[in-house]
Amino acid sequence: MGFREHSARVRRILGIVLAVLLLGGVAAVLVTGGEKDKGTASKTVRGVIGSEKSEFFADPDVVKALAAKGLTVSTETSGSWDMEQLPLQGYDFAFPSSKGPADELRAKAPDKAVAAPLRPFYSPLVVVAHSSAARVLAGNGLATLGARGTSGILRMDAYLDAVRADRSWQQLKGADKHAELSGTLFITSTDPVASNSGALYLAAASYVADGGRVADGKAAVGRTAPLLRKLTQVQGAQQTGSDAPFRDFVSGVGNPLVLVYESQVASQLLAGRPMGDLVVLYPDTTVNSDHTLVPLTEDGKELGRLLAEDPELRRLAVRHGFRPQGAAPEFTEATNQYGEYLNQTLTGVRQAPVPTGTVLRDMARRARDQGGTA
Amino acid sequence: MSPRTSPRTSPRTTPRRSPRALPRLLAGLALALALTATAGACSTVDNSVGGTGEQFDRTDTRPAEPGTLRVLASSELADMAPVLEDARRATGVTVRATYAGTLDAVEQIASGRAEKEYDAVWLSSNDYLRLRPDTSARITNETPVMTSPVALGIRPAALARLGWDPAKVTWPQLHRAVAAGELTYGMTDPKRSNSGFSALVSVASGLSGAQSALRDEDVRKATPKLREFFTGQKLTSGSSGWLATAYGRRTDVDALVNYESVLLSTPGELTVIRPADGVVTADYPLTLLTAAPAAAKDSAQRLTTYLRTPEAQRRITATTLRRPVVAGVDPSPRLDRGLRRELPFPGSRSVADGLLDAYDNTLRRPSRTVYVLDTSGSMGGERLDRLKAALTELTADFRDREEVTLMPFGSAVKTGEVRTYTVDPEDPGKARDAIRADAGKLTASGGTAIYSSVTEAYRSLGASPRDTFTSVVLMTDGENTDGAGAPDFDAFFRALPAEQQRTPVFPILFGDSDRTELAHIADLTGGKLFDATKGSLNGAFEEIRGYQ
Repeated sequence: MGFREHSARVRRILGIVLAVLLLGGVAAVLVTGGEKDKGTASKTVRGVIGSEKSEFFADPDVVKALAAKGLTVSTETSGSWDMEQLPLQGYDFAFPSSKGPADELRAKAPDKAVAAPLRPFYSPLVVVAHSSAARVLAGNGLATLGARGTSGILRMDAYLDAVRADRSWQQLKGADKHAELSGTLFITSTDPVASNSGALYLAAASYVADGGRVADGKAAVGRTAPLLRKLTQVQGAQQTGSDAPFRDFVSGVGNPLVLVYESQVASQLLAGRPMGDLVVLYPDTTVNSDHTLVPLTEDGKELGRLLAEDPELRRLAVRHGFRPQGAAPEFTEATNQYGEYLNQTLTGVRQAPVPTGTVLRDMARRARDQGGTA
Repeated sequence: MSPRTSPRTSPRTTPRRSPRALPRLLAGLALALALTATAGACSTVDNSVGGTGEQFDRTDTRPAEPGTLRVLASSELADMAPVLEDARRATGVTVRATYAGTLDAVEQIASGRAEKEYDAVWLSSNDYLRLRPDTSARITNETPVMTSPVALGIRPAALARLGWDPAKVTWPQLHRAVAAGELTYGMTDPKRSNSGFSALVSVASGLSGAQSALRDEDVRKATPKLREFFTGQKLTSGSSGWLATAYGRRTDVDALVNYESVLLSTPGELTVIRPADGVVTADYPLTLLTAAPAAAKDSAQRLTTYLRTPEAQRRITATTLRRPVVAGVDPSPRLDRGLRRELPFPGSRSVADGLLDAYDNTLRRPSRTVYVLDTSGSMGGERLDRLKAALTELTADFRDREEVTLMPFGSAVKTGEVRTYTVDPEDPGKARDAIRADAGKLTASGGTAIYSSVTEAYRSLGASPRDTFTSVVLMTDGENTDGAGAPDFDAFFRALPAEQQRTPVFPILFGDSDRTELAHIADLTGGKLFDATKGSLNGAFEEIRGYQ
């Protein structure tokens, strides 16, 4: 039976026919999408985004809401300041986490008119801690905690004093009961040269350290450089996106204090995930991350407009913990039941203005740079 | 997400004949065939780094089939197979993994070679990768999937003897036990494997008392204690798979240093110690290569989204004993939940490389290696040229304080040409130059006396025992034709003192050598077979360095 009875020539032909059929089958499935396709024609929009927005774009409801508007969005993540190094051809938009890198991306964009940035939502930087660490900070005047002890305010001036003095956890009252609280006291942030949250952390710290002044050039950067170097160098290797240190924290590994976006925490709470002994500390001087979309094509621009204006997409942005721009009752309503963790009105939290991209980059490079005395 | 749905993601196929049923069926069949083929090509038996042969076989630069993600992965990720099978069913994305050591993978990424063959890399950690500025534009989308700290797994009997509470052991305590001769251990080569490197960072932090990220002066300060600590390292390995096998043979080694997940999966009971004063943790970021085609990027996104679901995270922690990174998913009950200080990974390449260099040339016990080299008549011409070139390239890899013996053989060991060199830290170039010069003088003549020559290697090592990592490398291009036979060698080896039976032979398949013959020598002596028939002899010599 089978091939054995045919001549070699027939066998070869049969083989080829079978191969063509198989390949044709694959191609047909790929072209038609395998199942019945939805009626609307869908445009694929490709972009590079900060890691903290990847779950938003992967959310099936976001995918559905975008599809309803005729868009399929495909994303990959990158450190916000690294985006500039990526070859941008083939992308429809870039979506870094603040204005600085967005300005630089716009300057690089082939069509400046299309590339007018849009800011659909924002999120302040916060520090997450396990309750043991938060209580020790509070017991030593570095933080104040709310009644339930699950959120509070980090006193930036006191924290920066501790950093200047190379304070270790062992020197803080009450730390000896917790084995993990040892070594130099520091907040884990991302690589400020590559990633937005790390750079914004330095912006906030320099603002506090320089008596409430926004760094405006070489001289100002020089004044706070030794402190910023210290904040950075003690950390050793830094991640290039805020997702990884947050995941370490969730996993119960990593440093006791981690700088993240409020949205990363809020999205977990809103998803009903139990957060263990999490405490959210709002630095009394912090920086908002303005998630800024830079369109590179008309399709990218359309996506930015939808994110800013479409009610369903605004609601979904809240689900992922972001605060939509403008009056945003959506956020307050949705997070009401998580008030013990979230400072909905940002009471007692001051916004530090962010230096220009050039100054911030200079600041980051000097903080990260190796050599000399740390 | 993607409009494209792989045929495997639609579980409901009604028997009703639709116009698309045939193509769909055939496409499924074609993919199934592709899967079978790649599964066969990539399975590894002992999840070792590189393993035999496959590492050198780097000719596969074809783009992947649709829905297939070509991934360069850390060797211990072989244990993710059941999770990735679930992922394939749920997402239609098939992972085609090739295993490599972390530092080898970093070199492949930096040189641009990785992006010709892979779409993504999945290493235990990207920390070392990030110290190379030349790699930052080549990678994107780093998604940590799970975590596992580097820890010490100790035999319960040894733990009882030491009288320790495993939850409270510190690095200085481990150091004191080693210095007192009460604790021995095995760990992988920090230059090849991230678990070894993380262990080195941990112990250097722990013993220097560094309160923050390691600096050069911390390493200098801790050097005397580190040297003492590494006198207790009795086993080294280029891969965690072989380390576990070798440990199984050795009753004189009390502990293993490796990822918590690997220690808990090692046969034979090990109690895990995560030192109370700090650990370094791997977070397994699935990372895209920037140059990957768009379809592969979509596949990667589907895969990572799936791997971050609570369902997948539960399966990961239950199957692989790594820790989940999604809130609300509890780690496996076998994992202790006490928090540990995370020791910072060095932030600069100079500190990291300085530490590696110190380990190799100052801290670890020196290596002692005999190269038993076939220079029989059949090696004449091109084969001998390749051997000479490989030896010449290898000389740069010899460590300070290392003793190297070149033992060429034909019908017997060519005693007049046997030379021993020691790399003097004051003038390391001298021994290297001499080895290069003598390698250049090798000539091909005579038959192939494999067993007699290996016997001779053991005799010469046994004549002056030393406290070193001792091993024999056997390179031959043919079958045994002269001198002792296999039974003679077996009897000789079994009669050796226990201490000498711990010296492994690492045979290299080359030319027309006999795989069965060489595999037997590797098994008998607790070595490992390396295959240079598909690739370069240099590659095999280089990979063996991790085991010496």
